[in-house]
Amino acid sequence: MYSDLLHALPDVFAWTNFAAVVIGVIAGIVVGAMPGLSATMAISVLVPFTFGLEPLVALGLMAGIYNGAMYGGAIPAVLLRIPGTPAAVATTFDGYPMAQKGEGGFALQVAVVSSSIGGIASAFALMLLAPPLSKVTLLFGPSEVFWVAVFGLASIIFLLGGNPVKGLISACFGVFVSVIGSDPIYGNDRFTFGQLEMLDGINIVILLVGLYALPPVIDLLETPLKTDGVNSSKLGTQSLWKALPRMKSYWKTWLRGSLLGIWIGILPGAGGSMAAFMSYNEARRTSKHPETWGEGEPEGVAAAEVANNADTASALIPALTLGIPGTAVAAVMLGGLLVHGLQPGPMLFRDNPDVVFGFMWQFLFGAILLVLLGGSLATNSFARLLNLPRPLLGSVIIVLMLIGVYSIHGRMFDVYLMLGFGAIGWVMDRLKFPLPPVVLGLILGGFAEENLRLALRIGRGDPMVLFQNWTSLILVALTVAVVVGPTLKKRFIDSRKKA
Amino acid sequence: MLNIFKKTAIAGAMILSAGAALAEYPEKPIEVIVGYSAGGGTDVMARTAAPFIEKYLGDGASLVVKNMPGASGQIGVTEAANAEPDGYTLGTFNLPGMMARTIDREAGYDRDSFTYLANVVNDPNVIVTSKASGLDTLDKLLEEAKANPLAITVGMSSLGGDDHFALIKLEEATGTEFTIVPFKGSAPARTALLGGHVAMGILNISEVAEFQDQLNVLGVATKERSPFAPDLPTFKEQGLDLVNGSMRGFIAPAGLPEDVQAKLIDAFSQLSGDQEFLDAMAATANPVEVVTGEEFKQLTSDLYDLANGVWQTSPWN
Repeated sequence: MYSDLLHALPDVFAWTNFAAVVIGVIAGIVVGAMPGLSATMAISVLVPFTFGLEPLVALGLMAGIYNGAMYGGAIPAVLLRIPGTPAAVATTFDGYPMAQKGEGGFALQVAVVSSSIGGIASAFALMLLAPPLSKVTLLFGPSEVFWVAVFGLASIIFLLGGNPVKGLISACFGVFVSVIGSDPIYGNDRFTFGQLEMLDGINIVILLVGLYALPPVIDLLETPLKTDGVNSSKLGTQSLWKALPRMKSYWKTWLRGSLLGIWIGILPGAGGSMAAFMSYNEARRTSKHPETWGEGEPEGVAAAEVANNADTASALIPALTLGIPGTAVAAVMLGGLLVHGLQPGPMLFRDNPDVVFGFMWQFLFGAILLVLLGGSLATNSFARLLNLPRPLLGSVIIVLMLIGVYSIHGRMFDVYLMLGFGAIGWVMDRLKFPLPPVVLGLILGGFAEENLRLALRIGRGDPMVLFQNWTSLILVALTVAVVVGPTLKKRFIDSRKKA
Repeated sequence: MLNIFKKTAIAGAMILSAGAALAEYPEKPIEVIVGYSAGGGTDVMARTAAPFIEKYLGDGASLVVKNMPGASGQIGVTEAANAEPDGYTLGTFNLPGMMARTIDREAGYDRDSFTYLANVVNDPNVIVTSKASGLDTLDKLLEEAKANPLAITVGMSSLGGDDHFALIKLEEATGTEFTIVPFKGSAPARTALLGGHVAMGILNISEVAEFQDQLNVLGVATKERSPFAPDLPTFKEQGLDLVNGSMRGFIAPAGLPEDVQAKLIDAFSQLSGDQEFLDAMAATANPVEVVTGEEFKQLTSDLYDLANGVWQTSPWN
């Protein structure tokens, strides 16, 4: 089972494939460091440009960007208390106080080492878990896939945050978009308004570019960033080799954060920011000196950064084996795989072992490169990125968005569609509607509908077909646990408080 | 053979009478519109055939493949149907899909919108069953289907496609009824078969050739054994008259100048005798069956009548 893994290794070192990872990591750090520009945005803007590339070059770029961006978000989080990506919010808690104390350089070094460790752990999880899981996926017929999708939809609950009503409205909007196009069984047109271009439904990349890239670009053009020159000028940097011994005691936090991140990545629905929060809270709860947390405790930076990188590769486990992407980034990457004729599922590992295992290696090398590239450069040049003229940056991104979306099918219709979704995204953003539930609603809503209908056809209309085996029943139990669990826990805590 | 001589003679006469300008066709690159994304079956066929057509057109002819994916090939074929009929825009054509779409929805073309050049690929349907079903011969399958109507679930790639028509032919020929489970494409249908989630499947020979040890292949819907997988028996051999398949070929807009049409058909008809081309197609899992001009038009017309007949009695949406 794992011999294919070694067989794929030489290809990864072909210089074009390796260069793709290097460029990806650097580009990822740059994008991640720009407040508002996320890994999802970077990869979805990029995907259309990779159509003509060799599969491993394209995938290497994506793997690099994903790893790089998850760390890059820490740079403004530490220096400016502005999380570069949503996943870096927890990094600001202790990173910024450290920078104020003149320890910004050390905070960034902790962040890059932790990110790298998280990424390496995640890549190993992908390598070890995906091949055996791909053998089991034949057990997943329509009714089982339906339950996976329902489970994913239920776990949107984690993404709802402070305002569940807005989160649910976002998710419903996503499910509505999944309904557009010809219906999966009979091919009847739904909400296509007679447009042939709409018959295939809404391409996820078009939605993502509009939703995730346009609002931050508008922000870039709208508000000049007030840079805090003090923090970026006195970083208090020392050599990484001198800094490493100070991090020795974080191994528990790294281990815990990695496992949490990997697990949350595998769950369809949740993502990096939740992993970072959970890891941060757990690390503080078990710390010997919790009073220093929030005042500039380097271990807090380590906890957040290790977890938000540990979900990167593991989020691809359900995507590659079942074809169900758990996060927006995984969805875009799946789109990239499909473009290169790589159909996710058990056949992927049989038909294209060199590409799929090569992709896993690229994740691993991307994570390792992070220390080398991020470590040596971050404290010098990346901090200066924040001084780039923002209108210039915004205009460049808009041009890339337009060209990229046009090149997917070579038609202007998609560009208008993207701009329309961008407008919707901007309004939602202003009204503080969360965007991730939209994407998950779109992906998982479509899966749920199609597979429910297929399952019911197999059962000739009898809904009991959905509960016919252990795989289904386990998934039902997990779904119930996700929905009921947090409420029960809250009740339990409340009742103890009263007592 | 006589036919080719006749066509060549007519083409020759045309070229002589039309004068220098037209004799030089093609004098600029010819665009081939593919209604699917790069890398799909139809795209691979177009890109594999293109250099050979260039060779047979001669005079430094050049074919440029342009992908216009979307709406199951509808966008591309509509574009080709409405293009200027000057021989510089060709398109790919899929049967029975392209005709079925004129029946089940409003299409921007009909069967008279095209100049029929050549069908190149005929990927015959096969009936397979999952190992778990225990239905490992055609007789066992039909016996079970007769004993328990609708009890056998059939995975296929979509309604109104070649798989669906093959099933309808099977049901009519044997007086059986099955429960259709239309997946989104043949790959998920095949995965469901491998996992035993559906009992039977109708796929195409190119899609199952490599899976003969994991699925029971009960028969191939061709008149004679397919050179693509000569070890698989036909239904005819087993006493069942079932011939059906997915076809892919090339069309141009209706109203092509006759000399251009003749030159193109001549180039396409030479494909079937080109061993290098046949090898390239075999390597990409494309069973070749070249049918040109009038015969191709007749084939399309027959398939339209079949699809229309099915639609009248049992519409699929």
